[in-house]
Parts: sequence; structure tokens; C-alpha cells
Amino acid sequence: MANDTNPLPLAGVRIAEITVVWAGPHVTQVLAEWGADVIRVEPITHIQPYSRGGERVQTREVARRSAESGVLVGAYPDNDPGEDPWNRNAPFNAHSRNKRSMACDIMLPEGKEAFFRLVEKVDVLIENNVPITIERAGITYDVLKEINPRLIMLRMPAYGLAGPYKNYRGFGTHVEGMIGHHWLRGYPDGSPDETGEAFTADAVAGVMGAFGVTSALLKREETGVGQQIEMPLAESFLPALGEWILDYTMNGRVAQPQGNLHRTHAPHSVYPTQGADQWIAIDIATDEEFRALCDVLGTPQLVADERFQTAVGRKQHEKALDEALYAVTRDWVNDDLFHRLQAAGVTAGSVHDEAVFMQSPQLLERGFFEELTIEGIGTHTYPGIMTKWEHTPNHLRTPPPKIGEHNEEIYIDLLGYSREEYDSLVERGLVGTTYSETLVPRTWLPATEPTSER
Amino acid sequence: MAQLFDGLKVLELAGHVAGPFAGKLFADYGADVIKVEPPEGDRSRHEGPYKDDIPDPETSALFLHLNTNKKSITLDVNTEEGRGILRRLIDQSDIVVEDFRPGQMADWGLSYDELAKDHPDLVLASITPFGQTGPWRDYRGSEITLQALGGPLHLNGSSLREPLKSGGYVAQYHCGVAVAYACVAARFRVAMGGKGDHIDQAIYEAQAGFRDRRTVYATGYQYTGYVAKRQPPGSRIAMGPRPTADGYVNIYAGGTKHFLPALDLIGRGDLKEHEDAEKPLQLYSEDFAAEVEGSWMAWLIQRDKREAVAETQQIGLLGGAIFTTEDLITDEHYRSRGVWDQVTHPKAGTYEGPGRPLIMSETPRQAPRHAPLLGEHNTEVYGALGLADDLERLRSQGVI
Repeated sequence: MANDTNPLPLAGVRIAEITVVWAGPHVTQVLAEWGADVIRVEPITHIQPYSRGGERVQTREVARRSAESGVLVGAYPDNDPGEDPWNRNAPFNAHSRNKRSMACDIMLPEGKEAFFRLVEKVDVLIENNVPITIERAGITYDVLKEINPRLIMLRMPAYGLAGPYKNYRGFGTHVEGMIGHHWLRGYPDGSPDETGEAFTADAVAGVMGAFGVTSALLKREETGVGQQIEMPLAESFLPALGEWILDYTMNGRVAQPQGNLHRTHAPHSVYPTQGADQWIAIDIATDEEFRALCDVLGTPQLVADERFQTAVGRKQHEKALDEALYAVTRDWVNDDLFHRLQAAGVTAGSVHDEAVFMQSPQLLERGFFEELTIEGIGTHTYPGIMTKWEHTPNHLRTPPPKIGEHNEEIYIDLLGYSREEYDSLVERGLVGTTYSETLVPRTWLPATEPTSER
Repeated sequence: MAQLFDGLKVLELAGHVAGPFAGKLFADYGADVIKVEPPEGDRSRHEGPYKDDIPDPETSALFLHLNTNKKSITLDVNTEEGRGILRRLIDQSDIVVEDFRPGQMADWGLSYDELAKDHPDLVLASITPFGQTGPWRDYRGSEITLQALGGPLHLNGSSLREPLKSGGYVAQYHCGVAVAYACVAARFRVAMGGKGDHIDQAIYEAQAGFRDRRTVYATGYQYTGYVAKRQPPGSRIAMGPRPTADGYVNIYAGGTKHFLPALDLIGRGDLKEHEDAEKPLQLYSEDFAAEVEGSWMAWLIQRDKREAVAETQQIGLLGGAIFTTEDLITDEHYRSRGVWDQVTHPKAGTYEGPGRPLIMSETPRQAPRHAPLLGEHNTEVYGALGLADDLERLRSQGVI
């Protein structure tokens, strides 16, 4: 009989990561959540752009203006970048809980030596750099497996280890363009520049990478050897577009932007409710659901309308139906309509921004959100773990690591450096807990930002 | 050569997208996946798009894509005999993926704790819109409503218009991968001498943990007290989607560390001397912004999308073209990498589909076998259960 004291499934698995930006760190986030000991290998001798948010040190005023306009990609606590913005960056702190950080520059000889010693001690290595970076560093799988034949190495470049776009640089938002997702999700009557940016490929790659790594760990229990997993960001997302791709290869049809349309359901869109930018998504598949919708909204005339009698009819006259619904939903209080529709058996869901989302009774009841206290930042609520296991309670364990926070325990205890060797690396500025002052472009700020509060 | 999941037995009691995608990941990498369909077939068989647009439960692209390498059996689990057979199928499985309403399995006497009594290794994954517990557990959910509540839907699109869902069934695909990961992690614990578990995966919670903006901006909201908002088109100078001669690209130039070389590239090296040139783009003066944006747009519109990307990649700009499915499938890069699997199906003919998400160096994926016809493996699977002599009767009684 199962009980509630099961260990986390990846307890005892050690993972090193040389990852940047969003997708790679998301893979290690979900692996760390289920028990893996994840060590971030990060240089302090140069700044990895878009990874810890240190490449542009904003003033408080710029940070506040940006947040106020709804751009939160580089948000800092209280809009204050502080003296160490790379330890205060929201995108970084959203993924890096449960991880450790070790200062190490794999491009320098001393760093490479430490990295090779680390490779001996880990089960898994994960990286998502442009392939040429890994080649230049001389740390491809054929080299590393000589050091550790049990090593599993996940490589996740944007487009692959071979092919014309091998060394193309891009984020999830660029990759989603190059695989057809940006086009597909646009307004049916609009153009792609109205669509806005999405990082959907990063999200899918996170769990896909974790799936690949864990599968290879499982296989290794049987075979005793590791392997390389190549997972281009682009290819990890392609299966999510399967039916659109088959429609082209079977029928020659080029998918047009779909927006909120569904292949057969109507109504199927977002509808305005009372207040500014308040919307509710409604998805009707059957006649019964349509009648229930009209009952709640008090629109018997729509049920009686000949055009809307069948699913086919509703789809065919979707635009007229949507306009009729817009006129009615506008008068409703969003949350009230959501619960009334659900009570009537209608598939509906409010469009929630992050503030409302973080008050979701469902997520609160299930304990999704968790508090973490970070030294120098304070206590905040963070999104928790996306999967529940009935007999394995799981919570966030440790706060995001400050850069180099675990240098000593990793260099000395894990890698066997002597105190003298370690001190020498620190003295030479190769290992430490902050970037060199010369790397941080602060100097242009005071002149251009007279309103700075700092 | 050995495959990743040789010998792994998976039972798929799930329909449409999320559960079947988890099953596909196992099946494509070598697991023995039995898909249990209701007598009328998986919902995805009835959705299309169909081969030649002729509705046929055997030629729905959504089904064909999601069910490669699986075996299909039909079973009416609403009959007592059907549930008896189901229990036997579960007992011989390592992983079971189900998507009945919360509590349905327990009502049938098939709760995890009951199933695990004599089978502590069992991994049972339950996929529901909102989870097995909580005040919304019986609420209905679908792709658009779960993206709305749980994901970044409010941020897709323009601030001047309504928000948009992300493409296709991405929330459900993502959820399927999360389930596959959880199942393998649980099997890894079993391999290390531990126990299986009951995985409770809400699509809503998979969206709540979605790295695409949601977790990032939830953290940003906690830090700043401000929420993220949709932005108007073209709000970032020389950055984001823009038209080219033959379509669109999405390139980051303005405000990046490669902006000065980009000014050279577009023939506006003179602007490098401007006092705003090295600032973040939020700090560009109106005049400078207009100069840069005009020159950037003029340069792009003279080029095809692939050319514009290739030239800007040369100087290190992050970017990509905005491809249609046709651009994608005919593109030389993907074709040269062998991304497309060719599949021949008895009713849908020969077509190409997206192949591997992962390339495993030691355990390559098997060649794709077409998605099964409805009940194609009834004789084989039920025969192995010793029911060969009962097939006729079960069929006539509507059990299979």
C-alpha cells in the first residue's frame, strides 16, 4: 500500500547546467523540483545576456516606468535593481529555485578544468547554447563521455546540431516564428505584427527536456551507459502543430491565422464583460451547451434563430453570433458570469491576468503558490509545482541561488579543490560572488537619467 | 538497436490531445502502448481536418498525428464486463494514463490505492481540466478556457484589440508532455527500488506553471505590484514583427548589444554617432526613434524574409522569419535534418508529419507505424488475455 513518505523521484541525481535565457533553465527547474541536485555553472568573467538580467542595469525610474506600462520581462523587487540586479531579476528567480550556483567560466583554462572535474561527478549535463559555443569550448559529448561514460548530455540549440540554421540565434519567440506558430496564432483579420510575442516553445521545451533526460536516466539503469539527447527548441515544439502540418501534407492547405477560432466549435472566442480589458472565454460544442449558454445570458432569441440551430449553422454564422453575444456579455460582471456558466454546464473561463490568477480559489486550495524568502529581497509568493503526486508531497525547497553562492561547497567538498587552490581562483577573479565592476555598464546611466532616485 | 522504452507497457485510457500525446511520446520511442477507445472511437477521430476534407474517423489528421505506433482496442467501460476486462489490462501495465472525470475511476472501484494493492509499481496518471480536488474540480475546461484562466492568454495580441489564445491545442500538448515526464520520473523511482504513484495533472495547473510568461510575470507582479499588459503593434523600435518583401520577420535590433553593427548593416552608420544610439530603446528620443524605425522598415521591405534573417544573423542579431506551414514544410533546413516522417496509412494514404522531438544517440526512435484503425488490435490484445473465444459475444453485446 502506498504511503505518504515516498522520496522525490530524482533524489540522488546530480545535474550540471550551462544554460542561458529561458528554455534551458526551465528544463532544470522542473528536474530540480522533483529532487535533482542542479548546479548552475555560470561565469562571473562575462555576463550572459538575458539570463540573470545583469547586462543592462536600469535605474529605478526606468524599471518602474517599464512595469507601469505592463512590460515586466525584467522586473525587480520594488522596481529596484539594487547593487546586484542579477540576483533580483524576476525571470531568473521564477525558474532557479532549488538550484545551486557555481562561478566557472568554461572558456578559460581554469574554468574548463573545474568543469571537467564536475563532469565526472554528475549524471546529467544540460546546455542550450549556440552549437558553435560548445564546439569552441571543446566540450562536445564525444569529449565528455571519455571522462564520464555514464553522462547524459542534453543539448538544446534553437535549430539543431546540423543544418543550415545550426548557428542561428534566437529566443522562443523567434523559434515560434520559424516553425509556424506565430503565424497560426494571429488575428484571422490582422497581421503578424499585431500578434505580440510569445515564448510558448520555451514552456514546452522545459517539460520535453525533462522527459528526455529522465527517460535516459531510466534507460541507463538498464544499460549502464549515458547518451546524448539532441533537442532543438524548434523540433521540441513541432509535434504541437501536428494537425496543421498534416493538413498541408495530406490536403495541400496552408493554415491561416486562427486567433480564437476552433475548427468546429462556435461560439468559441473571448467575450467582453464589465470593466476595462475584461474578457471571458466561452467554448460551445453541442446544442445542449448552446441552450444552456443562452439560458444564462437570457437570450432565447438566439436559440430560436434559424442560423444557430446546429453546430454547423453556428460555425457558419459565427461572426453574427459573436456580435450578438458581445452585446450581451458586456453587461455582466466577469467572475459572476464565469461561475453561473459553469453551474449551467457551459465550458467557460475568465481571462485572468497575473493578479487575479494569483487569487484563484482553485489554485489556493490546491496549494499551488508557495512562499520563498530571498536574502536582500524578502518574502514573496511564487508559482509552485505544476504537477501533483498523490503520495509524494512536494514543495519548493531552497530560494534561487545568488551568483556563485555555492562556490565553496562545490569546489572544495564536491570537486576536491584544496583551500589554497580555491583561494587562488578567487584571488585571480575567476571565482567569486559578483561580476567584475568593469563588466557592468552603469556609467551611461546618471547622465541620461536625471530623474533617477539612486 | 535498443529503443528507449523497450518492454515498457502503457495503457492509454484517454482521448483528444493531452493523454494521447503522452502516449505518443512513449509509443514513438518503443513502448508497447495500448489505446483503449470507446466503441465510437477517440474524440479526435471526429474532429479533422480529414483527408480530402471527407469526414471519416480513420482519416482525421488530429488522430493520425497523435496515435502513431499505438495499438487500438475498443472497450465500453460503462459495462460491468468491460470494466472487468479493463482491470485486467491495468494490472498488466506499468503506466496507465486516464482522463475520466475526477473520481470516476474510484467510483468504479479502480482507485489508485485499490489498483496498487498488489501492484505497488503502478504509475497512474489522471488528467483533468482542474485536478482531482478543489472547488473547481467538476468545472468544465477546454483549450481556450484553460489558456484564459491559467496561461498567458491575456497577453497575446494587441492592446488595441481582444486577447488571443495560443495556437492549436498547445496547452493540452504541453500538459501531455508534463504527464509523460511525471510518469517516467515515477518509473525511475521504481527502477531505483521505490514505489509508483498516482499523478494528478490538471491542465489548468500545467498552464499555471507555464514558463511562457505566466510564471515570469506572476513573479514580476509579486515584485512590482504591476501586471503585464498587451502592447500596441510596433511599440519597440526596430524590434519585433515587421513586414518584408514576401512576408514577415521578428528580429531584435533596437536597444540590443548588436544595434550599432545593425545600423551599419542597414546603411545608417551615421546614426551610430547619435547620443541615443547606445541607450536602451525605451530611452530613444522621438526623433531618433523615427529615424531608426523608418530606416529599419525600409531595409526589411526590400528583402525576402529568409534573406533578412540570414543577413542579420551574420552580425549576431536574434531573430527569425514568420513562417506559414508551407514555408516550414518546404524549408531546406528542416528537410535536410530529416524532421519529417513519411507515414503510409491504409485509408489516408502517404503523408508527412512531424517526427522526433528528441534525437537519442544510443536509443534511436523506431520507424513510425501509422495510427491504428479503430479496434485494429482487438483480436491480438484480447486474444493475449485469453478472450479469443469470447470476441464474437463481446462484440455482439457491445462490450468491444
